[in-house]
Amino acid sequence: MIELYDYELSGNCYKIRLMLSFLKLDYVSKKVEFHPGKEHKSEKFLEINPLGQLPVLSDTNLVLRDAQAILVYLARKYDKKNIWCPIDDPEKLGLIAQWLSFGDLITGSSSAARLHDTLFYTEFDIGECRERAHAQFRILDEHLFFQEQLNQSWICDGEKPTIADIACFPYIALSEEGGISRMSYPAIRRWMDRFKRIDGFIVMPGVFPAGPRSF
Amino acid sequence: MEISCKDPVILNQWHPVSSLDVLTMDTVENTILLESKISFQLNSKEEVTAWLSLDDEKTLLPTRISYGFIWVSLGNPPKDLFLFPEFSESDRQNVATGVFGVNVSAGRTVENFLDMGHFPYVHSGILGEEPHTEVKEYDVEISEERDEVLATSCKFYQPQAAVNSNEGMDVDYIYRVPHINCALLYKTSPVDDARLDVIIIFVQPMGEEWVRAHTGMCLIDDESTAEQIRQFQQTIFGQDKPILENQYPKQLPLDSRIETPIRADKSAIAYRRWLSQKGLQYGVIPSAI
Amino acid sequence: MLNDLKKIWHPIASSAEVQKRHVFHAQLLGREYAVWRADDGNVNVWENRCLHRGVRLTIGINEGTELRCQYHGWRYANRTAGCTYIPAHPADAPARTICNNTYPVKEAMGMVWSGEEAFAEPVHFKNFEKYTVLRPIPINGNFNIIREMLSAKYRLLGHTTRDEVNGVLKVILKNGEVILFFVQPQDSNLSVLRGVVNQKYSDSERVLFLRAQNRILQSLRNDIEVLSKKRQIDPMIVQIAQVSSELSKMPQKKDIGRQAVLRVQVAEKKKTAKDIVSIKLVSLRDQLPTFQPGAHIDLHLQNGLIRQYSLVNGPGETNFYNIGVKLDALSTGGSEYLHKDIREGDVLACSVPRNNFPLRRDSLKTIFVAGGIGLTPLLSMAQSLDVMNLNYEFHYFVQNEDHIAFSSILKKLKKTPLVHQGLSPKLTKKKLNEILLYHNNSMNLYVCGPGPMLETTRQVAAELDWPDNSVHFEYFKNSNVIDDSSSFKIELARSALSLKVQSGQSVLEVLRANGLDLPSSCEQGACGTCKVSVVDGAIDHQDVYLNESEKLKGNVMMTCVSRALSKRLILDI
Repeated sequence: MIELYDYELSGNCYKIRLMLSFLKLDYVSKKVEFHPGKEHKSEKFLEINPLGQLPVLSDTNLVLRDAQAILVYLARKYDKKNIWCPIDDPEKLGLIAQWLSFGDLITGSSSAARLHDTLFYTEFDIGECRERAHAQFRILDEHLFFQEQLNQSWICDGEKPTIADIACFPYIALSEEGGISRMSYPAIRRWMDRFKRIDGFIVMPGVFPAGPRSF
Repeated sequence: MEISCKDPVILNQWHPVSSLDVLTMDTVENTILLESKISFQLNSKEEVTAWLSLDDEKTLLPTRISYGFIWVSLGNPPKDLFLFPEFSESDRQNVATGVFGVNVSAGRTVENFLDMGHFPYVHSGILGEEPHTEVKEYDVEISEERDEVLATSCKFYQPQAAVNSNEGMDVDYIYRVPHINCALLYKTSPVDDARLDVIIIFVQPMGEEWVRAHTGMCLIDDESTAEQIRQFQQTIFGQDKPILENQYPKQLPLDSRIETPIRADKSAIAYRRWLSQKGLQYGVIPSAI
Repeated sequence: MLNDLKKIWHPIASSAEVQKRHVFHAQLLGREYAVWRADDGNVNVWENRCLHRGVRLTIGINEGTELRCQYHGWRYANRTAGCTYIPAHPADAPARTICNNTYPVKEAMGMVWSGEEAFAEPVHFKNFEKYTVLRPIPINGNFNIIREMLSAKYRLLGHTTRDEVNGVLKVILKNGEVILFFVQPQDSNLSVLRGVVNQKYSDSERVLFLRAQNRILQSLRNDIEVLSKKRQIDPMIVQIAQVSSELSKMPQKKDIGRQAVLRVQVAEKKKTAKDIVSIKLVSLRDQLPTFQPGAHIDLHLQNGLIRQYSLVNGPGETNFYNIGVKLDALSTGGSEYLHKDIREGDVLACSVPRNNFPLRRDSLKTIFVAGGIGLTPLLSMAQSLDVMNLNYEFHYFVQNEDHIAFSSILKKLKKTPLVHQGLSPKLTKKKLNEILLYHNNSMNLYVCGPGPMLETTRQVAAELDWPDNSVHFEYFKNSNVIDDSSSFKIELARSALSLKVQSGQSVLEVLRANGLDLPSSCEQGACGTCKVSVVDGAIDHQDVYLNESEKLKGNVMMTCVSRALSKRLILDI
């Protein structure tokens, strides 16, 4: 049975919940109280993940930390159609890995800004976090604009979205909670609409649903 | 030491700054109240002291401990805080469910807490569900005696209202606003339908458009763990937060020409009127008159 | 300066950015806008704030015909921005004056243009029949700085630049192609640089061209932003658009609405079934007011008659009113006139839509029972439930296939309508018994059709214990013979007037004769427009609008036909 060490308000945990929902997989959500309990820093949890970070996935004998790593694992193990993380195309795989890493950079900026504004992580320099997020959003917005020009809907080329889209979505969708407006990123806003219409899309607190899937 | 906020109405209030359960004894904590940095400390005798952080003389500010929270004032606060007798009932579980920063005014935060019409949309599947969207007629009064806004006979359809039920039903609510930035919600207990659970929101204005919302519950429920209760309340508040942060203007309009109320907003209308009567200026758009 | 900028048209989005079912987030001169394209292609530019509680509409949902607010599910119609549904009060029709703030909009050269006070015609740029829109570049900088540096940048690259009207920069590329640049001032320190070139490229050329320009503009942006960081200007002050004083107060239970006459033109008239024509009316000048499902208009015919017709329109179809007119064998001149004399192009007067037949949308299931031309309001309702994916059953009783009207709309409904053809009164009753047999308290029934069929439906519903308040009906006309022989006194509680109603006079006539302007529509006790509250006295109900329990309650009456059983009535007006 898949178990997810999970916190409802975490965008990184949300990445995994999205993947599990897209793949229609059953799992057990093991709640870890990030706030106010700081359970992710408890001795008990540090035994599971010495980095003291969420999420962690356990599946039979495997215990896996890091949202991006878990996305790779779930896609490779359970996506029978080989859509979310295809490995037969080295170029595409390289690009997916590139954008997974970009997704983690967004966590470093946008999630940090959100923790500052929402949960008072005053050790973060809020101005610097926001500036970094804006710089990253600009890069992605430009990329998505030209993807559209080439009739591509997703971060990586192809008919269907990949785990790269999942890795980037949550902390972009939650950016306003860190005071980062998305008004200047129209291509990102359009991509978010498309993402929200993927079959199996679920919301989390802070993320609004889109309209009907088909029209 | 200069305090930038000049509105006496808000300066003379008691303001919540922290729940007790997250504090470590004898450790100095820092926060912001009405744009001023303040520091406070709880000692082992459960006594609290507070001062303006940048004040070299460390002149002590008025403080009190009530209802599981530390309260501080930057002015001359009233002797008493509002009444919340349920807090002391022995068979209740009092749980502070977390504090959240929100980029909005205190008034918008309280008003959203009084609102039932958004349940099927913002808390879909939890506090409401389409198409059960009707806000039935309810009663509102501004009680002069207790100086609070009181909404009674409120009813709203809730899916899975009781623990052991799969069916939805109307749940009864009572709302109290006994303090300009604090509200209490009384709701039929799923465990004992003769008694009411209480959900609280105490808002600490850090600035005119930036608050800390302290949330808590006071339940007749010995089955749920404190973690479960906190989880539930965090989900609810997490859903409200992006709505609040997308309201424009961020300050609460007491000027009636800015928004369009409907009958369902009776309690919000009373709340705005009550704030107007008090002459509040901070964090609101005053009525034109 | 700011005021001058408000008067000119600015591009606020590329047309391609205002995609189907998307809400584009724009800002101009400090004010935020929600820009959305309806499925019919129309682009709406609204203030980015739901009038109810100020929530940004850019987080709302573009449903193709209406925009839905995320906070309380209020629905706003394409074009008019009028609110069509307030879920917190499902039994009420929202006052049609609840309307979001809308701004002028035009689409040209692949861009969407707006301006807070842009009432003049936009400037026309010659030789831009073919065009390609550049990637818009948001810049953290003031529009004046951007204009200066933009021109310098292109000159440096060896192209020719020229200043055009309203701060537009014209760049003539070395190959002769022309780019027009517009700086959209979002706020003092925030702008979008938009360009359009007078050339249409093949797909591969286009991407190359766009990338090349994008590179130039991004490098320009870097320079501008370095400079702008040192030259921050105070943000623009935006006046919050006000709502009318009427809307700023909590409404009374029912907003009756005022009478105003619209001038409409017959844009289309065609036969839709035996003896039934479909007529589409368009406005001669202004935007037609918002309607809600169930609403009707009074049509003022050139022969002096006034007739009521329900709108068949689906949600968001706001650029015309569509009605169905049945030729009445006993026509006293209304339906006959519309069938025989009216032609496409004719101009008529009509009232604003009134809704005395509001549709609740909080039912788990809605049953529609339509008879003949009674189909029209119910068809509008079913289309509204469709866009919200709500459950319903649609029953349509007709004589035979030739009598099926509006079949193109019927076919589009998500729930296939059940057509019952040629049933005798006895079999109709049997069928109604089957339809209405199962019910629970979260179901509602809407009925419209000829009098006898309506009576039967109401009777069957009552026999099957449907609660009175779940059965909603609308008669076309009151076929009761009105007995106006009584005479009595009326006292007006709020106006402190005491008036006498003689036999042969209606209460409405007496009120009007004494200077009280009460809205009315059918004036035969069918439509509900002239309803007033009664404080005291026994009412002699002669209308077909109220249901039995409403009549028994005795606190409202239709002033056009109902009278007093007691010596006097006290009215709440």
